[in-house]
Amino acid sequence: MMLQDILQNIVSGASIGATYGLVGLGVVFLWLTISRINFANISSAMLGAYLFYTFYTMVNLGFFLSFVLSVGVIALYGIGLRAFIYEPIRKRGGGRLEFVVATLMLCTFWLNLIIVTYGALPKPFPPVFGGNKDFITIGSVRIPTLYLNIYLVIAVLMVLIYFILNKTLIGKSFRAAAQNREAAALMGIDVKVTTSLSFIMATCVVGIAGILLAPIYFVSLELGGGSIGVKGFASAVLGGLTNPYGTILGGISLGLLENFSTLYISSTYRDIISFSVLVAVLILKPSGIFNWKSKKI
Amino acid sequence: MKKLLFIAGAILVIILFPILNKNMYHLYLMNRALIHAILATGLVFLTGFAGQISLGQAGFYAIGAYSSAYFTVKLGMPIPVGIIIGIAISVLAGFLLSIPSFKLKAFFLSLVTIAFGQIVWMLVINLTPITGGPYGFFGIPFYSVGNNMLSFGQVFWLFGALLILCVYIMFRIKHSHFGRAMLAMNDDDVATESCGISTKRLKIAAFGFAAGLAGLAGALYAHLAGFLSPEPFTFFESSNFVAMAVVGGLRHMSGGVVGGIGLTLLPEFLRFGGWENYYLMVTSLIVIVVIIFMPMGLGPIIENLFRKIFRLKRSNTKTL
Repeated sequence: MMLQDILQNIVSGASIGATYGLVGLGVVFLWLTISRINFANISSAMLGAYLFYTFYTMVNLGFFLSFVLSVGVIALYGIGLRAFIYEPIRKRGGGRLEFVVATLMLCTFWLNLIIVTYGALPKPFPPVFGGNKDFITIGSVRIPTLYLNIYLVIAVLMVLIYFILNKTLIGKSFRAAAQNREAAALMGIDVKVTTSLSFIMATCVVGIAGILLAPIYFVSLELGGGSIGVKGFASAVLGGLTNPYGTILGGISLGLLENFSTLYISSTYRDIISFSVLVAVLILKPSGIFNWKSKKI
Repeated sequence: MKKLLFIAGAILVIILFPILNKNMYHLYLMNRALIHAILATGLVFLTGFAGQISLGQAGFYAIGAYSSAYFTVKLGMPIPVGIIIGIAISVLAGFLLSIPSFKLKAFFLSLVTIAFGQIVWMLVINLTPITGGPYGFFGIPFYSVGNNMLSFGQVFWLFGALLILCVYIMFRIKHSHFGRAMLAMNDDDVATESCGISTKRLKIAAFGFAAGLAGLAGALYAHLAGFLSPEPFTFFESSNFVAMAVVGGLRHMSGGVVGGIGLTLLPEFLRFGGWENYYLMVTSLIVIVVIIFMPMGLGPIIENLFRKIFRLKRSNTKTL
């Protein structure tokens, strides 16, 4: 095996893996504040991709406007998710399982809604992040501009999340509520606001991940179910469900593992291998591999 | 005495239905509903009584279906033997899946079970020599006695009898010392362990039982449909099964039956003329609404309705 092939696989694996990490971030943000798992997490990715497709290709708004609009709609969806699913269940004394099943059903609901409105056939994604043949050559390694743009968007997002969490007042209250909800409420932090914020952040991040994944998977139902969602959960678990940066690292390592198992073993058993690794990590080290801080955030 | 009346009523309904309704499609649908009821009963046992979660039931369903199909078609065994082998392999897989539950709870456990379901599904697609893969598995024999094929109505009686048997077994387990230990484990893991009850054994048994029922359901489905493809074994089927158990009511014996039959028939009731495209969407919406507004499930509500109609008194044990 040539060194060049290995480098090539590292580049592509890490970029896809980083988007898995973004999907995992959606899980982490909700887990930090409400200790629930949203199984319709991946639906936000599908909605993001379809919204962007609608605004960019069908309505012909520019890239920037379509991006902002789709993320805005996804943020509204996040608020709706809290108002119409999470709060009613909590008020009527439903436990975790009720939330799990409600979000699972929400996942099928969105899938069927997309099938009804857009049809089941995959749609080509506009080449906004660079087409199939654009690439930059560094040494002997070709890096497609698509991957470069994915890295760029994720880097910007991570800086933004770091800034929000660490440098703003609302981020501080978010971290406080994540550490201890009751104590934070007693200190005068509006826990409702931080909960809404976590829903918005969770859905938006996954929505952006959906837009980034769309050039690879097309604007298809694949984004709203199937294995990508499970890989998002897997990267969240690798980050210990509490560490946002560890989640991205977990996603990247998952992407690398996938690419190298395709390279050395077989592409048909690629997903089986990554799921087996997930089970092994869960059994051997449930606190996560990339979780260097034991306390929350 | 009055419980016996209920059981007699259920048996009467099962006997009368195929005689009164000769529509083949309705009978086929009811057969599917009974299969789902068997599977959901297993999930009610696993989740409601033993407190474990499984989002990979479709994996056991697939194992039961494909092993029964393989042993009857490729190795020429009679159907009952195939079904029993399907159950056995599925139970073994259930024992295996119970190992992670010793350490993991709630979300982490559900993730392991999702991974299990996905792995089985991918094996179904990729192991073409055994499963036929995406092309499907053809020519699975239909139920027959001697040389006579059974009618859908007779199959309905068979499935109904099996469902009643499963619910009865679950009823007996629940009222044995084993079942009480399981309910205790559901309330508090550590306290149960400190009472000298091995929760590991209980978890193994619970997963084995639920997996066995799912395997039975899968095997029954294989011989009913005569053809297997990977579609009915996806993750979405697993989540449907859990929805059946929750909608029916997790803490009730009738939960699996109500949820399994209800959620299988609901989409069919929603197929109005001109609105066929929307029925799956509306189904998931109805399930969400039911879960939000009735977290206890439909089972207890229907039971209360029956009590009011027949003026039965609430029994002390709160069962059936």
